[in-house]
Amino acid sequence: MRLRQFYFLLFVLLLSACAVNETARVDAIDGEKEKEILESDSGFLAASLKIIDTKTTKAGDLLRIQATLKNASRQTISFQYKVKWLDQDGFAVALGGRPWTPAVITPQEQLNVQAVAPNASVTSFTIQVQD
Amino acid sequence: MGNMKWLVAVSASLLLSACASDPKVSYGDATAVETVTTDFGSTDLQVIASALVDDLLAFPPVQEMTAGERPVVVVDRIVNKTTEHIDTESVTDTITTKLLKSGKFRFVDMKAVEALKKQMNFQLGSGLVDPAKAASFGKQTGAELMLYGNLASIVKRANDTKDVYYKFTLKLINLESGLLEWQGEKEIRKSGEKSFFSF
Repeated sequence: MRLRQFYFLLFVLLLSACAVNETARVDAIDGEKEKEILESDSGFLAASLKIIDTKTTKAGDLLRIQATLKNASRQTISFQYKVKWLDQDGFAVALGGRPWTPAVITPQEQLNVQAVAPNASVTSFTIQVQD
Repeated sequence: MGNMKWLVAVSASLLLSACASDPKVSYGDATAVETVTTDFGSTDLQVIASALVDDLLAFPPVQEMTAGERPVVVVDRIVNKTTEHIDTESVTDTITTKLLKSGKFRFVDMKAVEALKKQMNFQLGSGLVDPAKAASFGKQTGAELMLYGNLASIVKRANDTKDVYYKFTLKLINLESGLLEWQGEKEIRKSGEKSFFSF
């Protein structure tokens, strides 16, 4: 029994030794009817960050977006976000064109993430967040 | 008891080797947040370029200006007013790339003028190029707008804490009228504390 506990402990230690940052993803799709999807494999960020509003408009023929993120937790969250642009076929546009941007939200505070699409082929976007 | 010691030794070596297989050379995400020091870094460059390009493209008068045509822009230098050695041309290169790829602007490259002259002289003076297919002098397009600006910083230190504030200002001026068509600023604040183990 002791040996089993030891092996279990060893397994947990091995798993945590190489743990990587988890990533949550917030999708917002432009179109006739906007919809927001929260995809997450990060327990903490998914539970703490909520999209409370998204807005899209056009800057000329370029898609301009705003996503309002709220820290629904009781602690300050330091995270990074990145906007990923997609064309109408779902292909990523201007890969690597935007950096991971550091951000901090205090409890119950809101953060407006704004961006303008890199060119006119963009029809939708994804906001990725990671801790 | 002997077996247990052996097991502990194997387990310890397994734990130690769990992450030891990392190669000495590895590739990383070029857009990842870089916080090695408080000095101007890749994240600052990328964040500044993205923010200013967004601001410029979203400015209504610029949208009107670029609605029916692609104005020609020349990029002047960015004055580095900080105490750091910063390659400001790299920032303007990133901004130029983004604006060019937006399809809203065209650029003339003053750094290529000498090479262009050399090529034109070759085409027109060497006798090797068919005159009917050679590029002729006097047909280049002049810039209508000029991008220029400056990067300033305020650095403060107290005990083991260092606070750096950067302000990047970019301006777009109409060369003919002298009117400032747009101006954008991006501020960045970074703080760092000396680690207990650092030298």
